[in-house]
Amino acid sequence: MLFFSYFKDLVGREVTVELKNDLAIRGTLHSVDQYLNIKLENTRVVDQDKYPHMLSVRNCFIRGSVVRYVQLPPEGVDVDLLHDATRREARGG
Amino acid sequence: MVLGLRQFIERTGDGAGVPVLDADNGEEMMHVQPGVSFVLGNRSPETPGTLYISTKKVVWLSDVDRTKGYAVDFLSLSLHAVSRDPEAYPSPCIYTQIEVEDDEHESEESDSESSEVLELSRITEMRLVPSDPGQLDTLFDVFCECAELNPEPVDEDDEEGHNWIISADQMAGENGGLAEADFPFFANPSNSIGHSNGHQDLAGSVLQLQIDDDRFEDAEEMDHDKDISHR
Repeated sequence: MLFFSYFKDLVGREVTVELKNDLAIRGTLHSVDQYLNIKLENTRVVDQDKYPHMLSVRNCFIRGSVVRYVQLPPEGVDVDLLHDATRREARGG
Repeated sequence: MVLGLRQFIERTGDGAGVPVLDADNGEEMMHVQPGVSFVLGNRSPETPGTLYISTKKVVWLSDVDRTKGYAVDFLSLSLHAVSRDPEAYPSPCIYTQIEVEDDEHESEESDSESSEVLELSRITEMRLVPSDPGQLDTLFDVFCECAELNPEPVDEDDEEGHNWIISADQMAGENGGLAEADFPFFANPSNSIGHSNGHQDLAGSVLQLQIDDDRFEDAEEMDHDKDISHR
């Protein structure tokens, strides 16, 4: 739940979603749900050679289970806030 | 669960028919889109056909050949998107990526039929081209809705393993959620371990304790008597 809330706060920002099949898509975070399914807008593929077809895509829905990493905008990362929140989560509160 | 694309020919009804759904497991039809071409990877389009979107899977059936059809579970759809750039693909379409099994059985191709099945299961890109591009946004939204209906299945072993862990929420929130039936020794004290086995022992111990006490008291009294007799 922590990351769901956190990603919701990042809606509207630029992120790069790296999939388990090595495809990396950069775009504006449009929405995220409890399964961490991610919708991106204004997308572009980082490695265009591997998936040339994705060039044509401007928005997409990514299944949460195939996401390997989400690269965050540095200004969207409040380390202290996350530190506290993860601690609270670990305590079960 | 098997990942990837597969052939699908289970149809009911006359003419082109409709796909057979797994109604016993709650599968329902969400959307039917006639006039959709089907493109696998870099192959040429197959047409004409009808797209069926159920709560579990995407099915495309040929309108003219009852033996031709494909299905992919939402669990295998990694990504879907609307593609409108004519330079990337001539027709606006729904573009999808399909998760496939790890490729470790490449040498197992024996006859032509199984190699076709194998090839299907390795396809990682699928395009659905509606004759009416105005339907693309609707299709995209239906895909999103159905994808959210299909989260990763929870491992059954995991789920069973969790039965004995009682969270604070369960204790507080589910009144009667932990029924007494789950704990027979609450509901029926005579069956509890302490009573059926230990009742006798417990009584015996208490008796023993009393005897010991008596003996202790006696000894004291005797000392007391002795003291008196000395005086």
